[in-house]
Amino acid sequence: MIDKQADKQTAIVSGDEVFTHSAGRRLALYAAYAIAGLVAFIYVLNLAIGGTGSTGSTGAIDVENNSITIALRQEPPELDAGRATDAISHIVLAHVMEGLIAYDIDDNLTPGVAERWEIREDGATFWLREDSLWNDGVPVTAADFVFAWRRVVDPASASQYSFIMFPVKNAEAITNGELPPETLGVRAISDRILEVDFEQPTPYFEKLAAFLTYYPMRQDFFESTNGRYGADPDMMLYNGPYTVTEWVHGSTMRWVKNPLYWNDEKGFLDEIHTAYITEDVNAKLNLFKDGQIVDTHLMSPMLPEAMEKRWQIDRSMDGTVFFLEFNHRQERVTRNRNFRRAMQLAQDPAELVYKALKEPSYLPAVSLFPAWLKGVSASFLEEYPPVKHQMNLVRAREHLELARQELGIEEFPPLMLLTDSSPIGMLSAEYYQQLFLKNLGLEVRIDPQIFKQRLEKMRQGEFDLVMGGWGPDYNDVLTFGDLFSSWNLQNRGRYKSDEMDSWVRIAQSELDPRKRMDAFGEIQRLLYEDVVILPQYERGFSFVVDPRLKDFKRRSVGPEVDYNYAYIDGTKNSK
Amino acid sequence: MSDYTASDFLPLSRQEHKQSLSRPSLSYWQDAWIRLKSNRRALASLYIILGLLFFTLAGPLIWRADPASQDLDQVGRPPGADRSAILVADYAPFNSGPNNATSLHLLEPATTQAVRLQWQALEGANGHRVYRNIFPVGVEKAYGIPLAEFLTNDVDSFEDRLDMKAVTYYYSLVALGPHGELLDGAETIEVDVQRVTTLFEAIDRGLISADSDLAIGDEISLTWHPLGTDYLGRDMLARLMAGARVSLFIGIGAPLLFVLFGVFFGSVAGFIGGKTDQFMMRFADFVVALPFLLFMILFKITFGIGPGESGVFPMLVALVLLMWPATARLVRGQILQIREQGYIHAAQLLGAKTPYLILRHMIPNTLGVVLVTITFAIPSAIFTEAFLSFIGMGVAPPTPSWGSMSNEGIKSMLMTPHELILPALFISITVLAFNLLGDGLRDSLDARMRNQD
Repeated sequence: MIDKQADKQTAIVSGDEVFTHSAGRRLALYAAYAIAGLVAFIYVLNLAIGGTGSTGSTGAIDVENNSITIALRQEPPELDAGRATDAISHIVLAHVMEGLIAYDIDDNLTPGVAERWEIREDGATFWLREDSLWNDGVPVTAADFVFAWRRVVDPASASQYSFIMFPVKNAEAITNGELPPETLGVRAISDRILEVDFEQPTPYFEKLAAFLTYYPMRQDFFESTNGRYGADPDMMLYNGPYTVTEWVHGSTMRWVKNPLYWNDEKGFLDEIHTAYITEDVNAKLNLFKDGQIVDTHLMSPMLPEAMEKRWQIDRSMDGTVFFLEFNHRQERVTRNRNFRRAMQLAQDPAELVYKALKEPSYLPAVSLFPAWLKGVSASFLEEYPPVKHQMNLVRAREHLELARQELGIEEFPPLMLLTDSSPIGMLSAEYYQQLFLKNLGLEVRIDPQIFKQRLEKMRQGEFDLVMGGWGPDYNDVLTFGDLFSSWNLQNRGRYKSDEMDSWVRIAQSELDPRKRMDAFGEIQRLLYEDVVILPQYERGFSFVVDPRLKDFKRRSVGPEVDYNYAYIDGTKNSK
Repeated sequence: MSDYTASDFLPLSRQEHKQSLSRPSLSYWQDAWIRLKSNRRALASLYIILGLLFFTLAGPLIWRADPASQDLDQVGRPPGADRSAILVADYAPFNSGPNNATSLHLLEPATTQAVRLQWQALEGANGHRVYRNIFPVGVEKAYGIPLAEFLTNDVDSFEDRLDMKAVTYYYSLVALGPHGELLDGAETIEVDVQRVTTLFEAIDRGLISADSDLAIGDEISLTWHPLGTDYLGRDMLARLMAGARVSLFIGIGAPLLFVLFGVFFGSVAGFIGGKTDQFMMRFADFVVALPFLLFMILFKITFGIGPGESGVFPMLVALVLLMWPATARLVRGQILQIREQGYIHAAQLLGAKTPYLILRHMIPNTLGVVLVTITFAIPSAIFTEAFLSFIGMGVAPPTPSWGSMSNEGIKSMLMTPHELILPALFISITVLAFNLLGDGLRDSLDARMRNQD
């Protein structure tokens, strides 16, 4: 009986085994089918995606068609030079438009639409060249500039950059709605002669005239677009080395050589294809590695890989200076000068750059004025060396104690540090948080915000400290020098000092270059003595370019990346 | 068939061998524990969880490093890195002095404090660029990272202080043409960098006492970081412990609270039944439909959590307020089932009151489900915390959490992988341990599986 049962059990077990065996085999077969099917499906998907992604893209450089492929960080909101404020619009417009004056590859001013010009104390005259044409074949005339400039200052067009036009007579009054746009101090004497009147002497006007807000625009074309100017490629007129022929919003752009462009020294490529719009530096690095784009910049964690790949790494300064800006409004502790001095003495920008940020192309900032700015004859910082900063904790704590007494408080409230939410912004914020806690016992709270929100909070004054940066609009010390005048809207901390205002006024209108630079020297001294800001670093980029592309340029002033002079190795001479 | 005798109808005498229980009787919990013990995976998970609790609660008492303090001499160091260093004088600004160089050379011994180079202008150069590489330059002329550019020959020296590591660097001096373009002329030197620290820093960090007789040139050991440091030189072990506190607070606190509420809500709905049940469960459906992230942001604003303050509390509230319906549904289903069981009716007929029924029969029978829900809710809460900190909605710096640490670590994944691997490993192990324990608990607490193995 017992044996039988045992037999039965083994029989069942062996039956089970047989069943499991066959079922297992069938299962394995199904799994194999499923995997094969999945692989095929993924392959088909990949093909489909590949088909849409490569709209004629044939790698970073296409020697046969003399074209290159690039990536942009973002999409330009609109290509309207008079209203553009962002770096990306600037990049695109600098390739498809041209102002009176341009920059050459060595960052010197060079004739653009204007053949020659004359800057006087009360105004300027520009003589326009005859062979500068719009892409429909009509010559660019002085009237086009008059129309464009009037539109910039016209309150109806709401250009955020209208302030850059203020050296032109009546510009400020027109922007404030006090005068009609027709009273702007600019006249077309003839088709070829443009006459400008100044509000006050503006010796640096030629540098301004190279800025994109001063680009021309043709009235009849603008009116024919019914307010859609700059929204699409056919809603624009071009007078630069390239024209935009295709713009798939959010995806790709195609710039093609402008055959009517006058200058043989620019625009060697037949086509520049913006196949990618991405902010992700890692994605851009991968595209570069795969030979899909011609250039990309490198953050410090990517550098060992770049060295291992034996790339030729290049560097450039992007012109921007970053600084910690204090809030000087009434209710803030940062209004107290001893408090600001204590913070100044407790930090060292060199440590921030070398040990925390570790970016080889960043330069520890010694002043609001970056090292590349020109003074009278040499570099501004060489002519007017700023105070050599030394970290001194003993003195820092003395000043903090003084501040405590002056403010009459026992404990300092937590400081709100407004920063942008980028990796670099967060990294420096965390560094400062611990630094001020350790060195001064101050609690710092970090408020990371995206760019637009940060600007809004800066405008509202909702911060004690903010990590600000300022990039140059034109190649003159004044582009930084007037930042902390009491009337400048970019003075987010509302710093107000009569001495500063008087030096800025001198710097704006003084004609003698020596006296003018002296004024900037005084502004620099005041910024340090009053501890208006704490300079952090001058930003730069480490970048790599496909070695076959020559004369690619990254600029401090003007477009961030410039392909106007670029050519593919071996093609330039055959032209 | 009538061959019975009278003796057949006598009662049996007491037998010596009667049936008796050979094993002690087991309560529900004892039985569950025995079965859990026989499940090796679950048991190992249990020990891991106990270990994690010890790590979180007792760890900071043993390893007393401050998770926020920055050791900028040791940034991004992997675990077990060499930490011997030579004492040197405090940093003094660089003045190159007279130039009697014939070629690119070191002015002082190379240290992690600074590498100071001096050179004689290269032939035909209008300026120079200084490069640094961690690999030999080779035939490709891959000079490495450009550190500085001088567009004049007046500058004949350079000081490198950028993120110095005690390794071999290849410094190159490359001639520049009049437009700043690279020329062919170049010089390269190989530099072995010595790890150093200053006397001031050594005393400041408590490596040596202020009155010690160590002099410049002596060798000391830098602060020990058992698991290395992160991108700002902060101790990884201390940060993992501090991060565990946030992660486990959310991970255990939130599930406990919302499961408790879910049990209460579900049992009330199930027990009362009828219209009340309908109404309560439709309310639960409504809560399920609320978007978590939106509520997280709303709570953050409602609680007045300003920027720079920790968002852990609103996260807890949001989790508790929005996650309970799943538990409530489960428990309601169980209660509905149990309510109709025969033993309940029997108990009612025997005069059991409602509280007795609930405490004695309902809750113990749902406990298995509830415990399992908790163990599965814990990993999901830890993941939620990690995810929210990852996108910047959770803790505020400098407070670490495993999620935010992973977020930082991913940026330098290729250079310093330990910054990502360690917190990610802790998240994975914790979540896996809770999942396996939950599995084991489900098996051992299920009353129907009793005596089946």
